[in-house]
Amino acid sequence: MQPTAFKRQTLALFFIVSLIPALVVAAVWYLQTSSSNTAVLIVSFKSFILPVMLLGIIPAVLLSFIFAELLTRPIRTIHDAVSKLADGNFLHAGDTDQEGEFGEIGLSLIQLSRVLEQTLSETKSQSDLVAAERNKLRGVLNSMTDGVFALDAAGRIILFNHAAAKLTGRTIAEAGGQLAEKVIPLRQKGELVMTRWLATERGADHKVGQWDGLELYRADGSSLYVNVQAVVLPHDPNGIDALITFHDVTAGHELEEMKVDFVALAAHELRTPLTEVRGYLDILRHDLKRLTKDETSLLNHAVSSAEQLGGLINNLLSVARIEHGEINYLPEIINYRAFLIELMAALEDRGRLTGRKVSLKLPAQVPNILADTVGLREIIRNLVDNGLIHTAPGGHVVVSVEQTGSLITTHVSDDGEGIPPGAINKLFTKFYRVNELTNPTRGTGLGLFICRQIVEAHGGTISVITAVGKGTTFSFTMPQAPIAPSDKAGHNKITTRGAHGWIKDHSVR
Amino acid sequence: MAGSKTILFVEDDRPISEMYARLLIKAGFEVDFAYDGLEALAKSATKSYDLILLDIMMPGKSGIEVLHELRKNPGFNATRIIILTNLAQDKTSQEAIRSQADGYLVKADIIPSQLMAVVKEILS
Repeated sequence: MQPTAFKRQTLALFFIVSLIPALVVAAVWYLQTSSSNTAVLIVSFKSFILPVMLLGIIPAVLLSFIFAELLTRPIRTIHDAVSKLADGNFLHAGDTDQEGEFGEIGLSLIQLSRVLEQTLSETKSQSDLVAAERNKLRGVLNSMTDGVFALDAAGRIILFNHAAAKLTGRTIAEAGGQLAEKVIPLRQKGELVMTRWLATERGADHKVGQWDGLELYRADGSSLYVNVQAVVLPHDPNGIDALITFHDVTAGHELEEMKVDFVALAAHELRTPLTEVRGYLDILRHDLKRLTKDETSLLNHAVSSAEQLGGLINNLLSVARIEHGEINYLPEIINYRAFLIELMAALEDRGRLTGRKVSLKLPAQVPNILADTVGLREIIRNLVDNGLIHTAPGGHVVVSVEQTGSLITTHVSDDGEGIPPGAINKLFTKFYRVNELTNPTRGTGLGLFICRQIVEAHGGTISVITAVGKGTTFSFTMPQAPIAPSDKAGHNKITTRGAHGWIKDHSVR
Repeated sequence: MAGSKTILFVEDDRPISEMYARLLIKAGFEVDFAYDGLEALAKSATKSYDLILLDIMMPGKSGIEVLHELRKNPGFNATRIIILTNLAQDKTSQEAIRSQADGYLVKADIIPSQLMAVVKEILS
């Protein structure tokens, strides 16, 4: 039997029982009124009707209690269940009634509770996973020896690992929320190169920037040299706009500086004896008038080698000065035709001594240019030397000039061995030499590095066109002098600055 | 022939001064030597020179100091003074310009025949 049905029958039975006294009273009442005897009626009321009525009230009261209980209990159960749920406890099968309309509501509540419980437990396990991953990431970041930090779109630090804290001398708490350039100012010759790069590349998908030897000032005022790599991360869910790693290369940098200083010192010390070697060889060439062809050749060989040695020493000193930022170029108006003719006299001589031909091809009009004479001379000397080194005996090196708008391009071409394509990218870097293994004695790998530094310091560019086995052409640009070319070249205050120093011109004294 | 032109060669390193002077003497210039700054001032006070070739780094008085003193004296207005040094820095070159030198040559970059060409031109 269904429990609900049982309850309904019990209810009906109680109802009928409670009706019996009322029916009895009604029957007696009918009999009395039909006999019209008032006395009997009153007597009967006292002795019979009153007890019967009282008898009827008791089950009625009982019945109402039962009714009330039966009606409110499911509502209370539902209320308790909902309260329990609201308190954050999940419901189980016995927490609500199973029968009737309220039973169905109860079942629905339990179902809801179950779904809720399941969803919440899934979310919890996911967030546990996320937390575990985050801890793992933090562990990895903090165990790294490279500094790592992340920036938000406003350039503020939102992640900072232990190595970054150690390298910068600032705590993670100090760095958080600060602008990167305040906490980690990474400079190249005083410029905040990375900050500037990030400003222009912001939002560029996974674009990577790299800088070597940036200077980093620590919290205590000391400085480090670091190699830096930055990657731009647009649309990152964690709000990371850029992720930057930096590696301490101070020890290597200091070693490099010591190397440059040592080389500069050694080169300087070599200059004095070399001056004498070159000087006495020069005197011999002038003094000894009647030499056999063989003797002349021997002497020329010695002169050529001394010149080459002089060039190498000058390059070593130039690199040291470039590395220390000590070179100040003073651009002045140069009569380029006169300058080239004077310079080429020495270079043609050098070509002759090495069994190669150096020549100059000038157009009808050569404009004046704006450049530092010492620097300009060094560029051309290095490019011609380079051509002589990489050309077989009997080869040619040609210097020519071309004007394009306000730019003067100077070409130095040779018909030598050419440069393999793979080597072109590294050509202008320090100490790089093509065919290092096959030609270990040719040059220091400094000439082209110096050329590029000087050309770029003048705001010009240097480029190369080459074909293996056919030859190479180096081209560099210099700005045209602002004043129209005239025959006033001879009236420059200093006419021969750059050739071997400078001498004042006396025509204007 | 240059003949009568007189040169004072101020240089503390004798082999260097003899090397550079050799071709000048052969070309007919009259060359006297001073081996430090004080000697240079003393010699220039007793004899008038057309050209003084002046080293910078010397014991006692530096070439720049000698240059200052000579240029203060109007008696040396006609004397050409060329610095001949191993210091290639722009700084010293600028200092020489300010101190009214007539030229600045770097020893490592100039061989005797080039120096002779410069001297011949300046004294012509």
